Amino acid sequence: MTSIRLIQFRTGLAIAVLSGLLMGCMTSAKTRYFGLTTPPKDNVLRYVSGGEIESLDPPITNSQPDARILIALYDGLVDYDPKTMEPTPSLAESWEIGKDGTEYLFHLRHNAKFSNGDPIKASDFVYSIRRGLSPELASRNASLAYYIKYSEAYNSGQSFVKDANGQFLLEKDFEEPNPNAPAEQVHDTLGGDTDFHRFLDSPTRLTLPSDEKSRAKILDQNPKLKTAVQGKQFVPVRAEDIGLEAVDDYTLRIKLYQPAPFFLGLLAHQFFRVVDKNVIEKFGNAWTRAENIVTSGPFKLAVHKPYDVLKVVRDPNNWDAANVHLDGIEFYPLDESTTMMNLYKAGDVDALYNHTVPAAWFEQIRQYKDEYLLFPEVATEFYVINVKRPPMDNVKVRQAFALAVDRDALSEFRKTLKPLIDMTPEGIFPKYEEARQKVYSEELAKQGSSLEEWKKRVFDPDKARKLLADAGFPVQKVGNGYSCPSFPVDKVSITYNTAESNKAVAEFVQAQWKQNLGITVPLKNMEFRTFLPMMNKVEYDGFARRGWVGDYMDPYTFLGLYYSQANEGGTGWWDPKYDKMLDDANNTVDVMSRYEKLARAELYISQQQIIIPLGTNGTSWMKKPYVKGMYPNPGTLFPWKYVYIERDSSKWDSNVDNIMNVTDPAVEAQLKALTATQDEMESSKRTANTE
Amino acid sequence: MLSFILRRLLIIIPMALLVVTLTWGLIRLAPGNFYDSDKPLPPAIEANIKKKYGLDKPWYEQYGLMMMHIVQLDFGDSLKYQGQSVNEIIARHLPYSATMGILAYILALIVGLSAGIIAALRQNSAFDYASMAVAMLGLSIPNFVLGPLLVLAFALGWYLFPPARWGGFSGLVLPVITLAAIYAAYIARLTRAGMLEVMRSDYIRTARAKGLDESTVLLKHALRGGIIPVVSFTGPALASLLAGTVVVERVFSIPGLGNIFIQSVLNRDEPLTLGIVAFLSILIMIFNLAVDISYGFLDPRIRYE
Repeated sequence: MTSIRLIQFRTGLAIAVLSGLLMGCMTSAKTRYFGLTTPPKDNVLRYVSGGEIESLDPPITNSQPDARILIALYDGLVDYDPKTMEPTPSLAESWEIGKDGTEYLFHLRHNAKFSNGDPIKASDFVYSIRRGLSPELASRNASLAYYIKYSEAYNSGQSFVKDANGQFLLEKDFEEPNPNAPAEQVHDTLGGDTDFHRFLDSPTRLTLPSDEKSRAKILDQNPKLKTAVQGKQFVPVRAEDIGLEAVDDYTLRIKLYQPAPFFLGLLAHQFFRVVDKNVIEKFGNAWTRAENIVTSGPFKLAVHKPYDVLKVVRDPNNWDAANVHLDGIEFYPLDESTTMMNLYKAGDVDALYNHTVPAAWFEQIRQYKDEYLLFPEVATEFYVINVKRPPMDNVKVRQAFALAVDRDALSEFRKTLKPLIDMTPEGIFPKYEEARQKVYSEELAKQGSSLEEWKKRVFDPDKARKLLADAGFPVQKVGNGYSCPSFPVDKVSITYNTAESNKAVAEFVQAQWKQNLGITVPLKNMEFRTFLPMMNKVEYDGFARRGWVGDYMDPYTFLGLYYSQANEGGTGWWDPKYDKMLDDANNTVDVMSRYEKLARAELYISQQQIIIPLGTNGTSWMKKPYVKGMYPNPGTLFPWKYVYIERDSSKWDSNVDNIMNVTDPAVEAQLKALTATQDEMESSKRTANTE
Repeated sequence: MLSFILRRLLIIIPMALLVVTLTWGLIRLAPGNFYDSDKPLPPAIEANIKKKYGLDKPWYEQYGLMMMHIVQLDFGDSLKYQGQSVNEIIARHLPYSATMGILAYILALIVGLSAGIIAALRQNSAFDYASMAVAMLGLSIPNFVLGPLLVLAFALGWYLFPPARWGGFSGLVLPVITLAAIYAAYIARLTRAGMLEVMRSDYIRTARAKGLDESTVLLKHALRGGIIPVVSFTGPALASLLAGTVVVERVFSIPGLGNIFIQSVLNRDEPLTLGIVAFLSILIMIFNLAVDISYGFLDPRIRYE
């Protein structure tokens, strides 16, 4: 999921500023609600969804605005909880997880149907996920599924290596032994043993690129491997080799390459949602056209006029149609924030997507306590540091710059940003934060520091100057300010992609460094698509602006960004020790002890200071008070079947700052009924274990 | 006359191809790709995408392939919007821009011509000063200011018209006025100037001397010459109005061609950008030709060899 970015034009900006000013002048006596507030005549929600959807084919697109539409149209094994975004049963009514955490068995509903009335079976999931991983489809999201055994090898065109006797070479013979691997392999056979299961359960085979050139590159670096594969046969990994198996019509088994405790939450992503094989094979690329499309979600496509409207209506064939409250949803593809605020005020739309309230309107809008939703998001904003180029290769210099930014003041200035000193966002993973607090107290005490000391990282200019001096760049006091004449300013800059908000933050940080360190770091802005490759290839000097939106509800979605030598962290940093810490954590089944291990890894990487955390993003969007069952969850991703329009104004939402604590009987009952099947499964297992 | 038209039509083809080539070069010079997002892609996935869209071939091969298709008027499929052809996208979004453009054009002509003619006939009258002052204002207020002002008053103040989005007559009122304003102002000033010049010319004096009544002099003789500057302005203006105006379409969220064009550039959607550029350049060249031809009818002194 991408794009917290709004495409902003200079014109758009001018409009925003101008209308902002004018609105300010025109605001008369404040009313309770912002603009016209009457529920729509028919039972159809009107939602501003951001840019035009790229494709109605779920694995293709990776933007968050597109995901909101796709989860209305397609159902998955699991769905999101409306408040927490944790996985809830959906097409899978229950599931079991093997003891070593690599095997998942899903029990599918028997009454699930596609929008054309065809039943949804386990084989449809096998087809959908294999298709998403096929190199020909070239899905950008395919790496989300790389935890499934052999999926990466299939997606990146690799081959098994077979010797003359028909035996395959094994991965473990060519890798350093992993000290964290469990001593004895647990063999799970959830759902019964089969030949295919034995194949998946056997030691992982070695895979190498099928393409000779890329293969030669790898072999040249590894002489042992080169001799071992000499004269052997290369057998391409096929879709049928991936760890997906339809045990029977309604039982699906998934085998992972390594334990990934967050895997279940990942399955709610549109990449894993189910599509209809028949319609895709019949129409090819044209299957997503309104006249051909077949969907699997609570809603089906009614009208699609690109850049104008995409309308979905309740699908009577859906297994849960009785619990879908809205007759339909109209998605308006708009990304000009002033325009959508106007539509909202005029009562032409009922809700907006996140980050849509323009800065110029903020002070006015936040007065509307019944409509404005500002909650922490599973998204962070930070500056990545190019750790390969001096002077930023020195950890003390990096720490100095990190400590010299007053995050409380930044938060006051940016309004929707909460101060952040860690790698993972604040207020999103409460259980993890508990574990982290414990680990940090212990570990920091060992280092002769303390948690209180750690919390000072929010702003500690004295220490920053000291660190800089230790690194060989003494800071002198000059009048009321500071100066650091020996620091090579020409070697650093803050690079950001063009957007008003990025510019404001960069100027703020620049001013902070000037004031606290006496260093004026130059600013550079670039258009988004110019900026991206430059940042990803770590070709910038000093600092570059970055935001990260979590793919699933687990701290690993932030910590895993710097995992492996080929990591996509954009900093040039890699440390095998950190990788081991993460592997160790993910091999741990118990939730809290896993969190503690993750927290140790987070402390380790935080102290390396390869990024400068700035803040946890806020949702910042609006909905009319009569829209209920729609919550400001950490990804602003709504399971749409909970949403309804309340016509009785006495039951409208009020003071939405409390919306997460207020229980809505309608939503609670719906959620309880949905999770009952899995709760039953878990309690029966528990009884089985105690007996 | 016929050979003149033929010659001009033939020139359009190489001109359009040149425009396409230049645009292609500019797109290729711009860094970034349609598939980039703030989540970096593993190299294997990037390779899959490049293979799928033929981006792994050398540039001259890609250019050759593209030109071969374009000569057959096939711009291929959009990269960003899977399964939609460029031709289909243009055909789908042109009507929005064209409807708005034609309405704005008619409105601008009616307002501009009548204001200009009356101002010219009553030179230095109160109406003349007032209408030319308004026209000056219309010229100096950019549409990204006028649009929000209208929205503020009519959509958010009195809730008379919707503030944005396509839909029905009421939804067209504000964008059409916004779009027409600057053209109306321009036409008014051009008409006034043209008419003033013509009214002083010899052939008008001759017409009056012949004893023709004032309305015949005005409508049959003076107007034809007086609006020549207007015609040379409004020809290309109509082309750009039809093809969509980025700013007004953004402000009012109209799904027109201008909006799509901007998005295609930001998305690095090469086939779509090329398709729209080729379409626009041909459209503008055809309208210029139409303007040149119409001179012959308006002014008997102009002849084509």
